[in-house]
Amino acid sequence: MDPTDPAAGLAAVVALRRLADRLEDSQVEQAMRAGWSWSDVAEVLGVTRQAVHKKHAARLIAAGVALRRR
Amino acid sequence: MTTKLKDVRTLLVQNAREEAEMDGSAMIEAEHVLLSLASPIGGDAARLLAEAGLTRDAIRAALDQEWEQSLAVAGVTVTVAELPRATSERGRNPKFGESAKLVLKRAAERAKRLGASRMSPAHVLVGVLDTKLGRVPRTLELAGVDRTALYAKAIQLID
Repeated sequence: MDPTDPAAGLAAVVALRRLADRLEDSQVEQAMRAGWSWSDVAEVLGVTRQAVHKKHAARLIAAGVALRRR
Repeated sequence: MTTKLKDVRTLLVQNAREEAEMDGSAMIEAEHVLLSLASPIGGDAARLLAEAGLTRDAIRAALDQEWEQSLAVAGVTVTVAELPRATSERGRNPKFGESAKLVLKRAAERAKRLGASRMSPAHVLVGVLDTKLGRVPRTLELAGVDRTALYAKAIQLID
């Protein structure tokens, strides 16, 4: 595969975003199942606690993960 | 009759949304519409896809292959089947992404040009196949499918 081919390079950008999204979903879930706080997860991800809560709380509650208080 | 066709369209969208949810995707993309068309709801479009070897499972496998290949361009070696999975969320309610919006826009334009009052799965398939850019054409190429030939057959379905 030729990395100077823009079509392939742009496709790689999309593929990397999808990979980052998949990893974020699974690893935030792992952390919360292990009893991490929202603040700790947010600090590692470099985002606000509110941002990570807004993005993941509903999914994790639906998945039956016991969440610590914010 | 109108109601029945509208139902098919609603079911297609619902199906595409479920495929997106299964991926943990926040957006419904063109590939989710393609997967939706490969279900029984797809009717003639599903039959055409199956004749080209594109069952839902075959499309899923080719999409994973496309993902791995595109990551490899960036030097990332990943076996998609071995990636950790998150619990997918039913309530996330994915919205239409730009690629899926383009599919529906192209399908609607085609339907309008032919004077059809409603979009059928075949119109949507034409919309999916009517581009050489993006994840769907790359995936079809990896699956060994001649997109142009399949597009011509899809056009015949609605002509």
